[in-house]
Amino acid sequence: MRPNHHLDAATLLGYSAGALPAAFMAVAATHLSLCQVCRERLRQADRIGGALMQQQEPAPLSAGAREAMRARLAQLPPAQPPVPPAAAAASDHDRLPLPLRPYFGETFSGLRWRTIGPGVHHIRGPRMEGGDLMLLRIAPGRSVPLHSHGANELTVVLRGAYDDLLGHFAPGDAADLDGDTEHQPVTSPGVPCICVAATDAPLRFSGWLARTLQPLFKL
Amino acid sequence: MVKMSSDPATTKVTPLRAQRSLSTPASQANADAQYWAEQMAAVALRRDMDCFMRIYDHFAPRLQRYLLGMGVSAARAEELVQEALLRLWRRAESFDPARAGLATWLFRVARNLYIDSLRGEPHWLPMQEGLDWLDEQAPADAGSSAEAFADHAGLKRAIDSLPPVQARLIRMSYFEAKSHSEIAHELGMPLGSVKSSLRRAFAKLQAGLGGVP
Repeated sequence: MRPNHHLDAATLLGYSAGALPAAFMAVAATHLSLCQVCRERLRQADRIGGALMQQQEPAPLSAGAREAMRARLAQLPPAQPPVPPAAAAASDHDRLPLPLRPYFGETFSGLRWRTIGPGVHHIRGPRMEGGDLMLLRIAPGRSVPLHSHGANELTVVLRGAYDDLLGHFAPGDAADLDGDTEHQPVTSPGVPCICVAATDAPLRFSGWLARTLQPLFKL
Repeated sequence: MVKMSSDPATTKVTPLRAQRSLSTPASQANADAQYWAEQMAAVALRRDMDCFMRIYDHFAPRLQRYLLGMGVSAARAEELVQEALLRLWRRAESFDPARAGLATWLFRVARNLYIDSLRGEPHWLPMQEGLDWLDEQAPADAGSSAEAFADHAGLKRAIDSLPPVQARLIRMSYFEAKSHSEIAHELGMPLGSVKSSLRRAFAKLQAGLGGVP
């Protein structure tokens, strides 16, 4: 998988800084798990973070911290060979990308979709501060009018594909939008298009879903 | 994200340009990176406690400052710092200076521990390690990413010469974990301007890294 649409540099910096709202971190991590190019860019951003951290004025730790550290190391059992962490790439076609599993479960087949309009299903992620996380499934060959509301919106395609004025979006591709982008994705024929999306929540959390999904009911 | 902005520590974050008395001149940045890579090699090869404590003495207080700036309480920050360095000791063998310098490695771990601690749900760090592992499986690219050959001095110069607004946005991101929307709100800047300034800053810093702009 070689995505053609990547994360915005500002998004990457925010990710590296740990400064994106949680929903955006999850969607950005999903793209990163599928995109070697952006992992490389993230490494550069992390080097900036490392350099900045090293330039920080030191803050003293408490008096006993140094000895506590030594004592902890002395008490460690002999080093074990490192266990390779769970691979981020889903080898099994049914498995969700690793970054999404804490929010939506392990597999696509286990997802419990809710219908919100003809051919349109969604699953809301857990409540998060600073933005909403959701999965969307749109039937093939369908046109869905969506607009961002002067907020940030980050979408990654997981399955299927769609086209809009920004181009063709296939699995792994990220649509990283801000401002008042109005777009009207048309899903490709064949299989349903499944996306994961994060949107900035306005201060009133409850109103967002209604406004975003409003156009869908008019299909 | 909720910040404890009343925490006095957050006001003590070092401005980007205020490091001169504490760190070495830019020309020495490459030698520094080499020095830390050597200390780390000694830890990996023979569990050298003295070398480890040199790393600890240099980096622990800087990580502590970093986490305080992010709004973590002093006691919690100290736990995270110790945890980050404990991981360094345990993973010493798999530390590869060609992939990431020591400062970068510790920054990543501290950042990931911070995110996990913020959410009270420790899955972020293992997930990030999963992402790193993807690239460890791939043959090391001899491209610009190899930090062993990187121009640390170039990055330092690029950081020092960022225009004030860009420097401020970078600082608010990295040292205060402010989201783009929070920065826009706090500075009264349009969201689009915040993001485009950060884009420009990233391009300049990438150029300083010798990476592809």
